Order: sequence, then C-alpha cells, then structure tokens
Amino acid sequence: MKNLLNLLPLIAFVILIAVLYSFLTQDNDQLESVLVDQSVPEFRLPSLENPEIAISKSNINKLPAVINVWATWCIACKVEHPFLMKLKEESIVTVYGLNYKDNRTKALDLLKKDGNPFELSIFDEYGKLAIDLGVYGAPETFFIDKKGIIRERHVGVLTTKVWKEKFERFLNGDNDV
Amino acid sequence: MIPEIGHILLVIALVLSFVGGLGAFALKRELPVLKISFILNLLLIGSFFALIYSFLIDDFSVAYVAQNSNTNLPIYYKFAATWGAHEGSLILWILSMNIWLLTFIFFDNSKNTNFSNYVFGVCCLVIFSFLLFTIFTSNPFERILPIPPINGADLNPSLQDFAFTVHPPLLYFGYSGLLIPFAISISAMLSGQPNKDWASSSRPWTLLACSFLTIGIGLGSWWAYYELGWGGWWFWDPVENAAFVPWLLAVALVHSLLVTENRNIFINWSLLLSIFAFAASLLGTFLVRSGILTSVHAFALDPERGLFILGIFSFFVLGGLVIFAFKNSTKNVASIYSLNSKEFGLLLNNLLLVVLAVSILFGTLYPLIYEAFTDGKQISVGAPYFEFIIFPFAILLGLLQGIALYISWGSTKSFSFIGKLIVEAISISLLTLVLLFILFDELISASFFTIFIFAWILAGSLMINFSLKPFANYLDFVNRRIGVMLSHIGMALLVLGVGVVSSYSSEKELIIKPGEKVEFLNKDIELLAIKDVQGPNFISKTAEIKVSDDKRVFNIQSEKRTYFPSGQVTTEAGIDTGLFRDFYVSMGDNFKEDSWSFRLQSKPFIRWIWLGALLITLGTFISSINLIRKQ
Amino acid sequence: MGIMMFRKLLTIFFVTFIFGLTLAEEPNEVYPFEDSIHEERFQSLLNELRCPKCQGSNLAGSNAPIAIDLKREVYRLVKLGKTEKEVKTYLVDRYGNFIVYDPPFESDTYALWLAPLIIFLITFSVILFRRFSN
Repeated sequence: MKNLLNLLPLIAFVILIAVLYSFLTQDNDQLESVLVDQSVPEFRLPSLENPEIAISKSNINKLPAVINVWATWCIACKVEHPFLMKLKEESIVTVYGLNYKDNRTKALDLLKKDGNPFELSIFDEYGKLAIDLGVYGAPETFFIDKKGIIRERHVGVLTTKVWKEKFERFLNGDNDV
Repeated sequence: MIPEIGHILLVIALVLSFVGGLGAFALKRELPVLKISFILNLLLIGSFFALIYSFLIDDFSVAYVAQNSNTNLPIYYKFAATWGAHEGSLILWILSMNIWLLTFIFFDNSKNTNFSNYVFGVCCLVIFSFLLFTIFTSNPFERILPIPPINGADLNPSLQDFAFTVHPPLLYFGYSGLLIPFAISISAMLSGQPNKDWASSSRPWTLLACSFLTIGIGLGSWWAYYELGWGGWWFWDPVENAAFVPWLLAVALVHSLLVTENRNIFINWSLLLSIFAFAASLLGTFLVRSGILTSVHAFALDPERGLFILGIFSFFVLGGLVIFAFKNSTKNVASIYSLNSKEFGLLLNNLLLVVLAVSILFGTLYPLIYEAFTDGKQISVGAPYFEFIIFPFAILLGLLQGIALYISWGSTKSFSFIGKLIVEAISISLLTLVLLFILFDELISASFFTIFIFAWILAGSLMINFSLKPFANYLDFVNRRIGVMLSHIGMALLVLGVGVVSSYSSEKELIIKPGEKVEFLNKDIELLAIKDVQGPNFISKTAEIKVSDDKRVFNIQSEKRTYFPSGQVTTEAGIDTGLFRDFYVSMGDNFKEDSWSFRLQSKPFIRWIWLGALLITLGTFISSINLIRKQ
Repeated sequence: MGIMMFRKLLTIFFVTFIFGLTLAEEPNEVYPFEDSIHEERFQSLLNELRCPKCQGSNLAGSNAPIAIDLKREVYRLVKLGKTEKEVKTYLVDRYGNFIVYDPPFESDTYALWLAPLIIFLITFSVILFRRFSN
C-alpha cells in the first residue's frame, strides 16, 4: 500500500508528460469554423462591380462553390490569386468573392489587372457578413456543397495542397468525411 | 571575436558542469565544490558579459543582437535586451542557477560529504542540461556572416520600459531558486537522511526563492497595469499562470518544511513538494517556450525546442519521483497531533495550495486537452473561470492564515482559542461593514468576504487580540517573528487590494476635443491639448488632460506612440497614483479632426496589491536571511 | 453643466456616427451609452470576449482590426438591449466557444468546472481516512 502511494506521483507525471508530448505534436494554428454543416447565413450586400445591385444568399446558387474572403490590403491574397484563377479556368468549382473591408476602386482595379476569378463579388465594406461567417482575417475560403451547406473553412492561402487535403472530397457531395 | 569567446565559455561550462556532476555522484570523497562552482560562475558571467558587450557596441553580426536591438535603442534597453528573447534569457536562467549554487555552497555548514556532493551533483546536472539545450539549439552567439545587417530589428516597444530591466531577472532568480530545495531533497533521499536536519537546511533557500518569485510576479503585474494601457493587473494568461503555480507550490513547501523541521513529520509532503515546485518551474519554462500555448508573453518557438525542454523536464522530475518511489527510506513516524493543532492547520493549508495549483495548471492546459478530446473544437479558459475557482480557496486559505499564529503544535485539549476567535470574527465583520459603507456607496457581497479576510489575516498576524501581554513581551515576540508577520500582513494587504479593486472599479469610454469637458465620478475632465512629441526612437501624440473636483486639480498625460524601426503603435496610459485610488487614462484613437477617444478608469486600492507583494517579498527575505545566518 | 455638455456631445456623436459610417475610412472606436447599466454590460463583455486573431488578448485590450469590428458589433447589440448572455451566444454562434473566456458548463466541460472541488474532496478524504485509521 505504501509503495503504491509512493508510485502515484510518478504515474501522474508520466501521464502529464505523455499529454504534453501529444500537445507538441498537435498542429493547430487555425480556428475551427463552427458554421460547418450549417447553411450560408442570410445576407444582403451590394455587388462589388455595381453598388446599385444587391446580392443575397439566393444569388449563391451555382453550387458546389467556394466563397473566398479577400482584400487588396491582404498580401497573402495576392499569393493565392493565381490558384483562384485556376479554379475558374479549369471549371473545378464556382468561386464567389467576398471583398472584405476594402476600397471598391482598388479592388476593381486589382481584378482588372490580375484577372477576375469570381462568379459574383460581394462588397462587404464593414465586414458584416464576415462576422456572420466567423471570419477573423483574410484570406479565408469556405466550401459550400451542392445543398448550400458549409462543409469546410480554410484560413490562409488556398493552394493545391490545401485544396486536395481539405476541399476536394466535398466536390462529389460526399457526406461521409 | 567576443561572441566566439562567449560561446567558448559556455562550452567550457558545459564540460565542467558535466564533469562536476559526474564526479559528485561517482566519487565518495570531498570535492572542491566551492571552487568548481566559483569557476562555473565566472564562465557564465563572462559569457553573459560577452553578449551584453555585443549589444552595447551594436554588433549586428550576432543574430540575436540583430533580432532584438537597434542603433536608436537607448543604452539601458540595449543592456536589458540581452534577456529580451529566448536565447539570451536562457543565459540568464543558467547564470542565476549558478549563483544560487555558489551561494548555497558558501553558506552550507553541513559536515556530511555525501549530502553536499549530491546537492552539488544534482545542480550541476541541471545546469549541464540547460547548457546543452542552449549550445545545441538556442545559441545566442550565432553570427550572420558574411554580410551582417546594417541595423537591427529593434526591441519590441512593449519591452522598452523600466520594468523590463528588473522583472525578468528577479523572476528568473525565483524560478531557478527552486533548484536548491529540489537538489537538497534528492540528496537527502540518496544519502538516506530525509529528516528535520535536511528540512532546516532547505527552508531558508525555499524562502529566498519565494521572495524573488513574489517580487518577480508582483513587478510583472505592476508593469502590465501601466504598460498595456487598459488598466488590468492580472490576466490569467498561460505564462502568468506558469509563474503563479510554482509560487503556490513554493509557499506550500515552506510551510511543509516548517512542520518537518519542528516535528519531524510531513516528510513525504516536503520531499514531493520540493520536486513539484521545481517541476512547476521547469514546466513554466516549457509552456512559455514550446509554442503549445498562445500568449502575448510566449517566446515564439518551434516544437523541436519544446521537445528538448520536455526531455529535460521529464528526466529530472521523473528521476526525482523514481528516487522517491524506490530509494525513499522515510519511516513514517507515528504522528500524534490533534485536529486543532498547528500540524493539522498546515496540512489543510498545504492541501488547499496544492489543489489550487493543480487546478490552475489544469485550467491552463484544458483548451489543449479539450481540443484533443473533441477532435478539433476549441475553447478558451480565462479570467471568469480562474476567478471563480480561486475565490473559495482564497477564503479558506485566508481563514487558516488568520488563526495560524494562535494555534500550537502537538495535541492539545484546549479549545479556548475558539471563543476568542468567534469574538474576533464578529467584531471584524461589523468593522468591515462599517468600513464598506463609509468608503463606498454600495456593498458588493464579494467584497465583504475579501475585506473580512483582509482584516482577519491582519488581526491574526498582529496577534493583537490574543492576550493582553505586557507590551515589552509583545515587542520581543514581534522581533522574533518579524519575517512571518510581514509576509502574512503583506498577504492581507494584497487581499484588500484585490477585493476592493475587483468590486469597486469604474470606467467610461468617451470622445473629446481639446477644450471640451466631460464629467466622470463627480470630477470634471477637460482635454487641454494634443501635442506632437519626439522621443529617442518614437513619435508620440500626447494628450494633456486636466482633472478637477472640489478638493484638487491635477493634470494627467496619455500617449499614442509610434516606434520607428518596427512601426509598432503603443498606448502609454496616464496614471494619477494614489494610495487609495488610481485614476487611469488611456488614449484611444483619432476619431475625426482633433477628436480623440479616451478610456477613463478609477481603480481604488489597487496599489495595495503591490504593496502587499512588496511586504511578502520583504518578510520572506528577512526570514530567509535570519535562518541562513543561524546555520 | 457637465451633463448638458455630455448630452450635446452624445447627440453630435450619433448624428456624425450615422453619416460618418459612410464617409469614414477608419472605424471609430467610441461607444457612449446613456446609462451605466448598459455601459457596465458593454465593458464587462469587452473584458470577457477574446480577440480571435490575437495572441491571447481580450477585446478591451486589443486594437486588431477584427477586435475593433467585434467591439462595434458588441456595442450595436448592447445598444439594442441584448443581455450579456445574448451577446455571448450571438458571438459563440459565429466564432465558437473560443471567443468567450468563460467556458460553458456543458458535458464537455464538466471536468473543467468540477475538477478543483473533486480533487479537493478526494485528497481531503484520503488524508482524513489515513489520519483516523492510525
């Protein structure tokens, strides 16, 4: 009994160390989105190209699609822009743009200069829709499946690797993850 | 050249500590531990100076200097930048461990060769492992060659402050000081003598480490208060918790050693706490540097280095616990003490401290545990949680602390002190209620408890009601116990500060233009002007604010600073300090033209928190020095 | 005199705020309230909500763009009369439990909230047991 009691602290610390070790090997620098498995929230915002035209949830209808949150002040967004162009040009998936807290003129200039991968561009000047989506920075990309449900969110630059690992499987309407 | 010398000195120290450690365990005869330790200190001081020198001459070919300094940095910050980031702070850690070892050896009067050797050996091994880590993964002397940068990245502006020159060294001395009790306990177990003599040799050093930890943590809190610009003084940030947990365990250790020293019991408690306190120190180092926890304080590091530190942690803590499990020859002395004895009171005290420490650690790590168990969901555990759990512990610990000096050792049938306590409790409660109604307009129930505890601890520490002894006897009593009285009174003041400021602070955000006035807490607040000011490495917009009421008028300044090399913007708060109230102003943003937003706060009794910490530091320091001199 | 001035400022602020929204490039950071209950609720929320992008900072202590946006959102909700709980739920629905420093009390977190009490009871019982069996 005495020996067991003496071993208790040792056992407790072995467990602690194992736990700490597992934390070290955990890799997580992104916030998980809590909107996964929910539909895109309702919204009504002006279009980037034309402030007179309003875009709402019903306009997000060419599914499956991705919604890409970007801005001209976001340097990483420029890095992922070619990949977004590729998604459009190779008709892999529809890309909707959410221009986040940006300057309309600058944004339109950029799209003219570098190409416009977006089916539609939403102008979210104050980040209202972004907050409803749980966005906390740019770039971010949401995958919307055939039924209009958000399946995954990626924070950071969208690359081929990220696409293959996180988004590709939702293209076929897989419900098993 | 100098950086290379610094590096070589570290390598020599590495070899020497290894040889010293090995020799201490392998050889049975007396080693020249004083000389070896002295040389180790010279080597580390030399290396430390080499780094400081590189900073002072702006040697940007040294990568660490380039990352943490700049030609425009004021000279005293260049000096302090030595410990501004991971690599340099490790040198500080290692140096402080060496200083502790040398000091311990110098004052060590035990005639037991085995004992001294083992203490020396354990310390050398710890020093060796830290040096290994530094030299192989975190070398501060690495060079950027062949083309060194023209200028450095600059020291983080938040660190460019007086407190930065004192807070880290004092805190590190506290952390590393727990090495000595750890080494003593290992040594006691290995040389077969974990008993009261061992305890009496360990207690003064534990007290001294406590002293440094207290002032280190206190300075950190004070600094965060005026530096971060929004008036908070403790955030339950993982790194803060990483310093609080060893403090709690060190306090428990001091009390456990007291019992072991006096009654030769609680030996296992004392041994385990010696190991746990140092473990908590190492764990703190791990948490801060491994990158597993997000914190404004954390050093941004990679998991590989975290793994190395975890390895060091595992080796020493598991090693200690293995020795505890298998080589511990403690025979349990049949301990006879009644429920109303000092022993039982201290047992409860230590239990509460340890459970609190474990709970805080658990809460700090919980987000990671939660993420692992829920497959990715995230959660935050912050102030609301920690404040909720510490409250009952603080009340119970406070109650115990108030009766600590009244109860006696051993078994006693006398319960007479309970009657006196009840009278005291009632009179203090009434006094508290009266005080609260006089000082503040409202009674917030949480503050009643905290202020009651303050008075309770104060009365208990001063022993003013216990018996009407002749004053001369009382003076003699105080003189003998000045250390413990100061520490406990300090605790009381800290509780008072925390209680009042938590319940009775007020704040207001407002917008104002120069020349405009606003009212806040019966005072007129007028923004006099916004000036442009040039600093050595920053430009600032300084707001001059006039505060006036019936009793007095004073001016207060707050700034928004932009630092040159980094472009970082900081808020410098303006504080009108007072013993009973701090008036706190922080500048917000430029709204339109010359309108600016400000946050005004009143923080009553906040200074008592740090006053209390200062007294605890002083009390533990005095106790420790007195004990060392007696040895 | 002070109150009059303050009310005047408040009106000016509101008028400019509404128009300023369309003109201002910088989001403003000023949140006056008419009564102290709402003011306190607002301040309390700012202290208990976490900035999603910062290194461990609450909304009160952060000037990150997202923190400013969220502060504005909290202000809007408090102004609408939402309770503290409602505001927190609103944000948790969008950002998850990460955004509140007060972890919820639900099946996943029972261990967290009850651990201190349970650990204390167990160890205390063990100590008493050993003491009285001697």
